[in-house]
Amino acid sequence: MTRWGMVINLAKCMRCHACVAACRIEHFLPLRVTWPRLIAVETDEGYKVDVSTYPVRCNQCKEAPCVDVCPTEASYKREDGIVAIDSNKCFGCRYCVIACPYQNRTYVSRKRDPGYFPGFSKTGFEKKGEKLYPHQRGTTEKCNFCMERIDAGLAKGLKPGIDREATPACVNTCQARALTFGDLDDPNSNVSRLIREKSGFVLHPEYGTDPSVFYIDYKLGGNDNKAPIEAQTGSHIQHLSSVYEPVKEKLAKRYE
Amino acid sequence: MNIRTARQWMVTHEWMVKPMAQAEWIQGKGVLVWLAEVFSALGTGLYLVSVFFALKEDFAITAFWAGIFGWIMIAVFKLPLHLAYLGKPWRFWRAFPPFSNAWRTSWFSRGVVFTMIYLGFAAVQLILQGLVAYGRAAFDSGVMDANYAFMVLAGIFCVMTSIYCGFAMSYCKSVPFWNTGLLPIVFLLMGIADGLALIMGVGLVTGEDVIATAESATRIMLIINALLIVAYLVNANYQSITAELSVKELIVGHLAWVFWLGIVILGIIVPFAISVASYFTGKEATAGLLVFAIVCHTIGAFSLKYGVLKVGIYRPLLPRTQAY
Repeated sequence: MTRWGMVINLAKCMRCHACVAACRIEHFLPLRVTWPRLIAVETDEGYKVDVSTYPVRCNQCKEAPCVDVCPTEASYKREDGIVAIDSNKCFGCRYCVIACPYQNRTYVSRKRDPGYFPGFSKTGFEKKGEKLYPHQRGTTEKCNFCMERIDAGLAKGLKPGIDREATPACVNTCQARALTFGDLDDPNSNVSRLIREKSGFVLHPEYGTDPSVFYIDYKLGGNDNKAPIEAQTGSHIQHLSSVYEPVKEKLAKRYE
Repeated sequence: MNIRTARQWMVTHEWMVKPMAQAEWIQGKGVLVWLAEVFSALGTGLYLVSVFFALKEDFAITAFWAGIFGWIMIAVFKLPLHLAYLGKPWRFWRAFPPFSNAWRTSWFSRGVVFTMIYLGFAAVQLILQGLVAYGRAAFDSGVMDANYAFMVLAGIFCVMTSIYCGFAMSYCKSVPFWNTGLLPIVFLLMGIADGLALIMGVGLVTGEDVIATAESATRIMLIINALLIVAYLVNANYQSITAELSVKELIVGHLAWVFWLGIVILGIIVPFAISVASYFTGKEATAGLLVFAIVCHTIGAFSLKYGVLKVGIYRPLLPRTQAY
């Protein structure tokens, strides 16, 4: 069996956003819809400045909560492990958006798809997108590992992760080679070797979702979270500053 | 190093770096989900209470009308509100078997099925109850036997309709505050308490002497619900830091007014005080006071669902913030 997966090397990612742009172009994404995201935390503790960048996208979980909760079976799991959405079946209840622990699904609303230049005629990019990769307002979308490319490539006898034509657009575009794509079930594949040799880890394994997107780096991978407690509490305080004021002091004292 | 002097801020993209509140089911069009869930609690609660009152001949008319109102709240308010929320409402049939087998795993799909079955059984039961209430059939006749059978069937599916949204929410591991088995019980029992309050209003109109019975049941339900809410919040407080944030947000954060004014004072304390006062004075509360208690109780029902939905906070994504 094949299970497509991705390994993201955090140490190589240089936050150029090329993967985000490539995905946008590949899938003609509406203005405010982004399938892969790049999130970054900048910490400045006075003596040490650090930036951690995390490219995130749908984890194509083996035990996908989004598939379980979908009331119309619009979300489904393919034999190759890719979690896909049939937009013609989705009725937009957004249960999957809430149930996804990684928050990698986007509901395409009028607000998120106002057109690239609202009030003006559509761009050539939008017009082409309507024909080649239509997006339905009122449904949910997410990264699908460019399954169209994979399927077309396999039909031509190409190997996803090796041959560019059969590989996801973001992986092809990454100039730092931070993204690697391949078969997780093949112990000799490039992704399996990377995970094994460089202690690949997944986000929130405690959810039991068994994601197909792995991360490697030289700070966290394979080990316990080594982020200093100050960094954790720092982000905690950051959150508290925007959420609620009265207990900020109490929680701050707890972590002192 | 004093952490309060450490500067840390998010750049580029703050999405899921820090705890984010869920917006899909409470903001913008999501308000419809909140309203639908409130009508679900009120409707199922009122119907379940009406079933118990229907067991006594003296309350037959009140039970009939209470059942009718409960049914209407589900059929005319809850379902259309849910439909209006959907991005593609005309595809609603896709949630039903045999068009979908999602009921095996999806609480949403199960809920739709439960609701439709409940509406069917309850419609038959209410027709039979109407025949008994308005003297078309005797209380000890075969019609009442059939009524009992449909009461059981409709009652079972009414309970399921009442609790499914709690299960649907508690299934979400992404929102630790909801991810507890207590949530369906809270929704069910609060719904029954709401139903007891509403049936007093129906009793005021029909003139049947249901108020004393409903008041004594309300006293017990309000105490149980208050304890249950405390247990829920204490449980969430120790469950995870994200759930703790939700609790703090609800109790001392910017939603504190919803909790203290809506849920605690108007939803529990005021109706309980009026009920206890009538217990100690030995007289039933006046109609005006009862209406006031019913209004307060209903505001409490709206507040409870609003508060629970609004403080649903996602656990952050990054290992660095694994403290959550």
